[in-house]
Amino acid sequence: MNAIEIKNLSKNFGSKQAVCSLDMTVPKGAIYGFIGENGSGKSTTEKMICGLIHPDGGSIKLFGRDYTDADVRAKVGVLIESPGCFPNYSVWNNMKLQAANLNIKNADTEIQRVLKMVRMEGAAGNKYKNCSLGMKQRIGIAMALLGKSDLLVLDEPINGLDADGMRIMREVLCDLGENHGCTILISSHILGELEKIATHYGIIRGGKMIKEMTAEELEESCPTYVALKTKDINRAKANLACKYSRVEEDEAGYIRVYDAKEPEEIVTYLYENGILINEITTAKIGLEEYYIDLMKEGR
Amino acid sequence: MEKKFDRNTFGRRLKSMLKVDFRRIFTMPLLYIMVGISFAMPVLILVMTTMMDGSVSVSPQTGVETVIEGFDNTWQAIGAMSGAPMSMDLVGMCNINMLYFFIAPLVGLFVSQDFRSGFSKNLFTHRAKKSEYVISKTLVCFVGSALMLLAYFVGTMFGGAVSGLPFDTGAAGVIGIVMCMAAKILLALVFVAIDLLVSVTAKQKTWIAIVGSLCAGMLLFTMVPMITPLDSTVVNVTLCFAGGLVFSIGLGAVGNRILNKTSLV
Repeated sequence: MNAIEIKNLSKNFGSKQAVCSLDMTVPKGAIYGFIGENGSGKSTTEKMICGLIHPDGGSIKLFGRDYTDADVRAKVGVLIESPGCFPNYSVWNNMKLQAANLNIKNADTEIQRVLKMVRMEGAAGNKYKNCSLGMKQRIGIAMALLGKSDLLVLDEPINGLDADGMRIMREVLCDLGENHGCTILISSHILGELEKIATHYGIIRGGKMIKEMTAEELEESCPTYVALKTKDINRAKANLACKYSRVEEDEAGYIRVYDAKEPEEIVTYLYENGILINEITTAKIGLEEYYIDLMKEGR
Repeated sequence: MEKKFDRNTFGRRLKSMLKVDFRRIFTMPLLYIMVGISFAMPVLILVMTTMMDGSVSVSPQTGVETVIEGFDNTWQAIGAMSGAPMSMDLVGMCNINMLYFFIAPLVGLFVSQDFRSGFSKNLFTHRAKKSEYVISKTLVCFVGSALMLLAYFVGTMFGGAVSGLPFDTGAAGVIGIVMCMAAKILLALVFVAIDLLVSVTAKQKTWIAIVGSLCAGMLLFTMVPMITPLDSTVVNVTLCFAGGLVFSIGLGAVGNRILNKTSLV
């Protein structure tokens, strides 16, 4: 069964079409990386899933039920844009309010559990307005985790987090996905981080889903290449272009050869042509590059 | 196989919403400030007007002399007897009915804080139906308003005692005054319903919520002295209760529809 199943979803804001005939499938237990440029319709889609915006057309099903079903909505945790806390309340009191909202029994124990998960147990007494951006994001995650949600909808949850905060978040989300069967829909522009945790991806552009795939499919779609550095870049490029079909120079000044089988053959080939290599390595393009290439194709 | 979920009944949802709202209103400094003002206001009014009673002011432009008339009786701060002409002087205007205007900032700030803080996202993600939100807000704001009215009543008695004004209940009697207060408290439901509708429409725009509520409330304000005189009876109480119920259900349904049809962020 799918945790989220969206068919033909549309939303207009005046004359602007924010989401247009969007189809999306998030399998149960997946960590779904939802990627797209600013204004591509990610947040609007997430808000519609959470029932915060009324769709103009299409259907949204959560665990096989309509998204307006009160029973299923009680098990959705959310962090969209900001954690939704009262600035003058302490972290603890904000959590208590959310616990009351979710009708959680043993609220104190549950709050302590989630604060510990995001390593925020020491800041429970702090006023929310005095917390740093990273702390606020962690509090938002903790609030979303309250009540053992079956589905988490997280919009840019790692924005503003330091390296340690990102690592903690990664561990928490992976643990939820792997050990608690929680489905996570997460949008982020930090693709390097997303790549470490996502099991599925959806790429949206102009309100339309342009690609949905699993992490394995992404792995297969991302070619390996040999990257090399030499003092004589132009001559090396010209020589390599005679033998290999796809030779490119990247922003860091490396020459990338995509259809080379082994680095050794390139070293030998360039040496024979009088070009010395300073550095050579084999690498694979990541989600970020895959995404950028995909976006370029569409333009 | 379909996933099983706990039944999230209307009762459960309303209970949780009430828990949130009661926790919020009783931890909000605004409520205590307003209750404090409601208590202090009649004390100041009664003491000041008693001190100024009979003093003469002369207009520098026209030279016309005006004699300032204070309260003759403590209960005048609560209302006038039925059939009494509506006076536009200090005594006629400075009474408990002013508090109906205080409901507007209470409701406006209480509701708009949900939207401004973003807490509404947490609330509405878990609530596909918005009816419990409207019901809970109506009940909680009604309790807040009732506390303000009761604080004014206590303040009136305190102010009357301090300023030495008589507590003569006259034709209204103690029962009349009790009925008057009950009617006034129930009538607050009408204003809460109006203010809540304006506030859920305005959402995070606090000033629109407050000013809009004040303007909408103004339309009904002239009816307040007529419907809740000092010598109120069960009829007045019933009338206020029925009015409160009709307004809450009617305007609540409209508010519910607005929340269902508009963006909540």
